[in-house]
Amino acid sequence: MNKRVTLFFVLMLALGLLLVACGGGAAEPAAEEPAAPAQEAAPTEAPTVEEPTAEPAMEEVTLRWRTRPDNQAEIDVYQSVSDELSNTLEGINLEYEAGGSETSSYQDVLKTELGAGTAPDVFWIPGTDVADFATRGLIMNLRDMASATDGYSDDAFYPGPMYHLTFNPETGNTGEVLWGLPRDVSTFALYLNLDLLAESGAPDPRELAANGEWNWDNFIEVATAINNLGDDIYGYGQNAWWGPYGYWINAAGGSFFNEDRTACALDTAEALAGLEFEQRIYQDFNVAVPYGEDSEPPFLAGKVGMFQNGRWATPGTRSSANFNWDVVELPEGPAGPSNWLFWGAYVVNANTEHPEEAWKLVQALTTAEVQGKIASLGANVPSRVSQEALDAFLTYTPPENNQAFLNGLANNPATEGPLWAGNWPEYDAVMGPAVAAVLNGETTIDDYAATICNEANKAFNQ
Amino acid sequence: MTAATVGSREKQSPKSRVDLWLRVVMIWHVVLALGSLGGVAYVWLGGVTWAGWVKGVVTAVLLLLALFSAMAAVDINRRQHRGRTISLAVNYLGFLFALFGSMHLIGVFTGIDSLADSFMRGIPFLLLVFVGFFIGTLTDRYQNPATQRTLRQTSKAVMIVSGVAFLLAVGIHNGILALLSKLTDPLILLLVGGTAVFAVMLWAMWRQPSAEAMHATNADNEMLSGYLFLSPNLLGFLFFFAGPLLLSLYVSFTNWDAFGTKDWVGLANYGRIVNLDVARLDTITQLASEAIDVTVYDELTRFEILGRSYIVGAQDKLFWLSLRNTLTFVLLSVPLSVVPALFLSNLLNSKIAGMKFFRAVYFLPSVAAVVGIALVWQWLFNATIGYINYFITVAVNFLNSVGSGFFDPQIRWLSDSNTALLAVVIVAAWQWLGFNTVLFLAGLQNIPRALYEAATVDGANSWQQFWKVTLPLLAPTTFFVITTTTIQAMQIFEQVFILIPTNPAGPNNSTLTLVLYLYQKGFQRFEQGYASAIAWVLFIIIFGATLFQFQRQRTSGSSYDA
Repeated sequence: MNKRVTLFFVLMLALGLLLVACGGGAAEPAAEEPAAPAQEAAPTEAPTVEEPTAEPAMEEVTLRWRTRPDNQAEIDVYQSVSDELSNTLEGINLEYEAGGSETSSYQDVLKTELGAGTAPDVFWIPGTDVADFATRGLIMNLRDMASATDGYSDDAFYPGPMYHLTFNPETGNTGEVLWGLPRDVSTFALYLNLDLLAESGAPDPRELAANGEWNWDNFIEVATAINNLGDDIYGYGQNAWWGPYGYWINAAGGSFFNEDRTACALDTAEALAGLEFEQRIYQDFNVAVPYGEDSEPPFLAGKVGMFQNGRWATPGTRSSANFNWDVVELPEGPAGPSNWLFWGAYVVNANTEHPEEAWKLVQALTTAEVQGKIASLGANVPSRVSQEALDAFLTYTPPENNQAFLNGLANNPATEGPLWAGNWPEYDAVMGPAVAAVLNGETTIDDYAATICNEANKAFNQ
Repeated sequence: MTAATVGSREKQSPKSRVDLWLRVVMIWHVVLALGSLGGVAYVWLGGVTWAGWVKGVVTAVLLLLALFSAMAAVDINRRQHRGRTISLAVNYLGFLFALFGSMHLIGVFTGIDSLADSFMRGIPFLLLVFVGFFIGTLTDRYQNPATQRTLRQTSKAVMIVSGVAFLLAVGIHNGILALLSKLTDPLILLLVGGTAVFAVMLWAMWRQPSAEAMHATNADNEMLSGYLFLSPNLLGFLFFFAGPLLLSLYVSFTNWDAFGTKDWVGLANYGRIVNLDVARLDTITQLASEAIDVTVYDELTRFEILGRSYIVGAQDKLFWLSLRNTLTFVLLSVPLSVVPALFLSNLLNSKIAGMKFFRAVYFLPSVAAVVGIALVWQWLFNATIGYINYFITVAVNFLNSVGSGFFDPQIRWLSDSNTALLAVVIVAAWQWLGFNTVLFLAGLQNIPRALYEAATVDGANSWQQFWKVTLPLLAPTTFFVITTTTIQAMQIFEQVFILIPTNPAGPNNSTLTLVLYLYQKGFQRFEQGYASAIAWVLFIIIFGATLFQFQRQRTSGSSYDA
């Protein structure tokens, strides 16, 4: 074929594709869109005969929304939720974007898009990020719209997350603003390898918990018995981030921060006692997967007896564990039962062009019905304080002992939360390596205590 | 017309027509100059609410446009060829600006993203286009003109019909409708119109009769053609490299968080980076809080000299730790990826069966995606179920079975601060080795065989030949390999970021490198200004190291000459 003809044809195709691109996302088949309802009542005065009598159709608004799924099954469920809501929310067309996983830097991508002005209208952020996003004006205060919404109440959700989601950084009071609604909550539990447990002859932690005997001493006894099964078997495993070691600190009566979260409290006697006990798990009892190693692969490979993780680990365990497993609540510490209440929230982009519609979407995404669908995957606990939602959650097995997660919610959990008076990423960047050095035996508790708050308190000056 | 002016190969247009076009272009430049000045007035008097620096940049661009347009108008009027050059440059840049600006506002660039969704629908028709093209290629196989014509026409018909079907399937009708609806936006309409006007003016001035009328020489035309070919790269460099580079320099003097306003803080970011405090200790174990102001400084290190103890505090301890880690990484990874590559290339330079296969195998890590490589290594390095420790255990068990009494180290590759950086070094060196080997291979193949033959005649053995012939003659290649690998190592990021995904800084910040640190500061902790300052410090370090290597190369190069 003539080269010039071919070249002309290729150029026309390229030009055609550019023209296609002009359409952007408008290539959806119109037949799938819901019929546009009438927007307003007919005028009271009689129209002139010359005017058409048909009422104007409501203009369809397209909203982009994003959340952080952990696997393809979650993406599929969120997509189906988005499709259903797109049909039921009047005048709103939804485009769901599956964000990257935690290790794919979900937040980094989101922040970059916010900087570039291309972030979605509604998106999910973890509880620790709310302060950074709110104080920088990146997310919208929804309070006025919430106040004007029939049937809306802050009390429908767990108070811990709502404390932070309604915190006004300008006045220091809670309940004045509304930064978003919690998507879900989660707590820690110990995932048990029942086969290893039976083989070790150790007492069953679930029975110990039922009898009120599930404490740190018995935890060590069980972990040691399992650990003795072989050189490549570990009694206990956790991953290296603030949640797991935070439990040991909290359960001993300590905390990351002082009561009003304006200063470091990692050097209090209680916090140090908790950390010291955890150090002994690694250095003295020597019953754990080395600190810093990802404990999930060896757990799923059947080499870890008790793996401390949140509800989000359930789908992976369901699909990958080739052994009998269940969960049990975390053991009681010297200060009583303890746990974390993890949460994340749907928030509205401060620069959205459709705030009213975005608020409707946030409400729709946090109804009991939608939360039930997501919870059925096993990754989440509903964030609504609703017995109906919790009863439904208990039916999603395995694990048989779903109640362990709910017990975590009931037993005075510390709420994951942002640092309104400081910079959480900076604080975490100081705390994490310092704690790791203690747990790995690279520094002593005394040296840690002498310096940790000097360094960590700098995060409150920023 | 002089001999130097352009030859008249093309049919010359009537002079009046050329003059008319030149007058139109001249008027266009007058309009452009006045419009630019009007734009400046609007920016400062029209209530525009842009940031000060944006106003400044826009004003500078408009003033330059006004100046060059005025110069072009005057020179065109005087028929000086400089006017043609300026006019072409202004109209070319204006054309690109208007074209890309209108494409941006119409949404073509984001539309290309969403095109991926509908593209799949058109793939069957696209395959038919290729079938049509294939039919066209068959014409050469037949001698009969009638058959050839039939095939050609069939080919054209299939390609056109399936091409149109393809465009319809991917949604060209939506695109055309969207384009038409967006053309109602005055700004888009202005830019589309501007694109057309700039294109016409460009054509009017580029054509041969205009060149002749403007007394352009062949040298002028060649220069313009040269710049035209260079322009995609040059403009890309200016807009996507030099521009952001200068912007980051500016940002480094501000406290910008990527979202709010940029407040000028002068050298404060740089001051924070280099702010150190050295104090004498009574004893080496004395508390840091007794020697330095711990509300400002964190303890970086302590040491003893001549029986006296000192402590060093840093306002930003993590910067110094990341600098230490980066330099350690360079010192380990560069030799590990260069020296083995040198020996490997000598092995691969021999003529034995299957050598091309081995060359490909060693090069494979260089072309494999970093993410994939790092994920595989992440599993290999797992201390509890990873293959590396598994094989070490198997080896130790075997040795112990014959009575050696070895201890199984159970190395915690990624969770021990003593080994985490080493693990990153191993991955990076493994990955870079192949590319360096190929570079050395290219260098080796440029060394004349006669030199080796002469050395053999002189009685040199293989080692002497390598040491006295190969190594000196490979010096330029070695310099290039070391320099580029050093720069690459200084900028290490992806391997660390993916190898330890939950905590890239590693145990006790042992894998925190400079680029990782500036990424964390800029994209995770809302400190773009400070991150930019770190980037510029890194640039200065890399520039200094490269300069040092150039200096050494010059010195050693002269010694070879001698």
